[in-house]
Amino acid sequence: MARNLTFSIFRYNPQDPTSTPHTDTFILDETNHMTLFIALNRIREEQDPGLQFDFCCRAGICGACAMVVNGRPGLACHTKTKDLPENITLMPLPFFTLVGDLSVDTGTWFRNMAQRVRSWVHTDKEFNPRALEERMDNALAEEIYELERCIECGCCVAACGTAIMRPDFLGAAGLNRLARFALDPRDKRTEQDHFEIVGNDQGIFGCMGLLACEDVCPKHLPLQDQLGMLRWKMGWAGIMNLLPWKRK
Amino acid sequence: MSKSLSIDTAAYIPSPSRSSAYLDWLQMLTGAALILFMWAHMILVASVIIGPGVMNAIAHFFEATYMAQVGGPLIGLVFLLHFILAARKIPFRAEQQSRIWKHSRMLAHKDTWLWLVQVITAMLILIMGAIHMWVVLTDLPITAEKSAARIQGGFWMGFYLFLLPLVELHVGVGLYRIAVKWGFVGRDKRPKMQRFEYVITAVFICIGLVALLRFYFLAL
Ligand code: HEM
Ligand code: SF4
Ligand code: SF4
Ligand code: FES
Repeated sequence: MARNLTFSIFRYNPQDPTSTPHTDTFILDETNHMTLFIALNRIREEQDPGLQFDFCCRAGICGACAMVVNGRPGLACHTKTKDLPENITLMPLPFFTLVGDLSVDTGTWFRNMAQRVRSWVHTDKEFNPRALEERMDNALAEEIYELERCIECGCCVAACGTAIMRPDFLGAAGLNRLARFALDPRDKRTEQDHFEIVGNDQGIFGCMGLLACEDVCPKHLPLQDQLGMLRWKMGWAGIMNLLPWKRK
Repeated sequence: MSKSLSIDTAAYIPSPSRSSAYLDWLQMLTGAALILFMWAHMILVASVIIGPGVMNAIAHFFEATYMAQVGGPLIGLVFLLHFILAARKIPFRAEQQSRIWKHSRMLAHKDTWLWLVQVITAMLILIMGAIHMWVVLTDLPITAEKSAARIQGGFWMGFYLFLLPLVELHVGVGLYRIAVKWGFVGRDKRPKMQRFEYVITAVFICIGLVALLRFYFLAL
């Protein structure tokens, strides 16, 4: 049976001094295989051309379309309306800077995160463009790939109570990123180097283990396991530093 | 040369601090120590269900070995230390409180709520636990009869009926969170651990209630 869906959508344009935060309601007939991506585009085409929201890949790859759907951060392009009740409330992701309506700026935060984590392979090897690429054990490559799948949508950070209270928290995406480079044999950084980046209250010891990140990540990254592993490893790295002969 | 130029030049080189790591260990270890204590405590209190004689024997053992006289205040210190460490995570600023509250309501996410349960029970335990420890430790030795007299007075029955679930909730959630935060329990075992948390909380509340009733109806 075809439903009529009621969308309550957050509206606010911070650029416009006359704009005030409010909710607009739109009614839309549900079609087969409808996703929020389709619904939002239809609303914009048929009802309100001014509605702001972000999309790019519409296939859960680019991470642009993250928003709060009935209270939960998630990807709009990945969310089917048939899995939702008739009343759908859409809000922009909290924590990030609002661009307008449902659109937020995740890029600035993720860029900053990458710089804090120094998110690149640290090596002193000279790059030889003619040489064959170094080989890597397949199982390890897959393990790295599993963490590399993060699409930087920001859902984990927006869902994190710690980040909401303390904006300097590195977030699950940042901690996961460090875990990814910690796995990579080409990266020469040591455990003590990792400790300098995340062994603090802005990093892993700030995480309170609420696991909202784990529960909302639309790519189902193993965030709980990475956070647990990091706390354990960094905890011991801190203790090891008490031993004079291990001190750096 | 001149004394007035005593500038700490090292202040300009940020030295990586390890203190967050140590404090996090201590927070977890004091929490774990308090959990172990609460279980030992439950054995003592619940022994009254079998009979006041059993409880008196156990209490006497703790006193004869000076575990009550020394261990009691020591637990008090651990209790205080745990509070100071965990307080680093408690939102005390009104702005943070309002944020986490709105956030929890928006997210409707169980583990986020459980953390709030932990913070709120913690503040109440801090006050009520301190009162309870003071009353018991300033009136040694511990005997079933003295406890029963207190509880039958009425006020303390209400006090304990309130404190018991607070502590058991805090302990249950704390145990679960230690397990997931430190990686002892991974993604695959998390639902199981959560069930274990509920069961252990419920079981301890039940044992505690039965013990309280036993005290209440103990013939003096
Ligand atoms: C019966 C006494 C207590 C026991 C058995 C206990 C146990 C625990 C445990 C096991 C944890 C988890 C530790 C972690 O996540 O690393 C915890 C966390 C916590 N405890 Fe306690 N606690 C007790 C009393 C208190 C008191 C008196 C306070 C202070 C008001 C308190 C405040 C907290 C807070 C705020 C947390 C959360 C810390 C975080 O999120 O990292 N607890 N407690
Ligand atoms: S587990 Fe840590 S990173 Fe994830 S939501 Fe909780 S506090 Fe944030
Ligand atoms: S870890 Fe998951 S939720 Fe977080 S940014 Fe990456 S894909 Fe999004
Ligand atoms: S549009 Fe790219 S992830 Fe949704």
